Amino acid sequence: MFVLPGYDAFLGFLLISAAVPVLALVTNKLLAPQSRSGERRLTYESGMEPIGGAWIQFNIRYYMFALVFVIFDVETVFLYPWAVAFHRLGLLAFIEALIFISILVVALAYAWRKGALEWS
Amino acid sequence: MTIASWTQWICFVALSAGVVIGSLGVVLLPNIVYSAFLLGGVFLSVAGLYLMLNASFVAAAQVLVYVGAVNVLILFAIMLVNKKETLAEIPGLPLRRLLSGGVCAGLFLLLLRVDVTTPWAVPGPSPVGNDATIRIGIHLFSDYLLPFELASVLLLMAMIGAIVLARRDVFTVDVITGEDVDQALIEKMRTPLLVETTPTQNPALEATR
Repeated sequence: MFVLPGYDAFLGFLLISAAVPVLALVTNKLLAPQSRSGERRLTYESGMEPIGGAWIQFNIRYYMFALVFVIFDVETVFLYPWAVAFHRLGLLAFIEALIFISILVVALAYAWRKGALEWS
Repeated sequence: MTIASWTQWICFVALSAGVVIGSLGVVLLPNIVYSAFLLGGVFLSVAGLYLMLNASFVAAAQVLVYVGAVNVLILFAIMLVNKKETLAEIPGLPLRRLLSGGVCAGLFLLLLRVDVTTPWAVPGPSPVGNDATIRIGIHLFSDYLLPFELASVLLLMAMIGAIVLARRDVFTVDVITGEDVDQALIEKMRTPLLVETTPTQNPALEATR
């Protein structure tokens, strides 16, 4: 039995947002002139010519940012229930959450100190 | 059946089809980038299934962590690998496929048996809807306080471990310029002509400092 309220609007939103790219592509296909030669085939018609394939080697720095992001993402997930139940929990839970965050601030300080946040 | 139950049924079928077809695509597609993107779709479908089971917080966590972070991490890990490699043919491939197919079929039969023999009709506790997140919060800060705080320590350890592993200090020095070539072994951005290991034992380098 589905009891969560307010998800009818979510379903409608999902349907509409799924229809947007489909409609955009289909109308383009119907309305645009059908010349498929020369510059028309490039990814960016007026931009630079792409060289090579799309599969290029990413720099490892992106990976560092992604790793740091995962950690703080999980932290955010832990803080969600605290924020939702904040009015029922009181001061003690606030202090506990502060301890939780301060331990992770140590992690942030470590990442900062080690230069994981820098683009050097 | 009412309209609501019909909608629910259609959503369930669509999400399950997304999970099954997406997982098959993840396993079977030859291009590993397509597999990674399909994995994101599978995670999203699983989040939708959680939502249908009245677990809105779990669905949000699924979208946030798995789709938003883990899948991006997987994609970056794939993109770190430079290019496609044609792997050598494994000897005895049909026999291996047969064996693994047999194991998978056995596991599937086991799951089917569990599905058939379990009495599903037992009514569980009634779902609490949107109060579930509040209840999770209250439990997290009363009964499960120690695991909650330990989770932060675990995250700290994960962060330190990730940085230590990914940002290993490579002691390489460009001989021509005398500067530290940071991350040279890992990134392979530029390969100096002569790589000096252990710069402290190099008297020429000590003179430049």
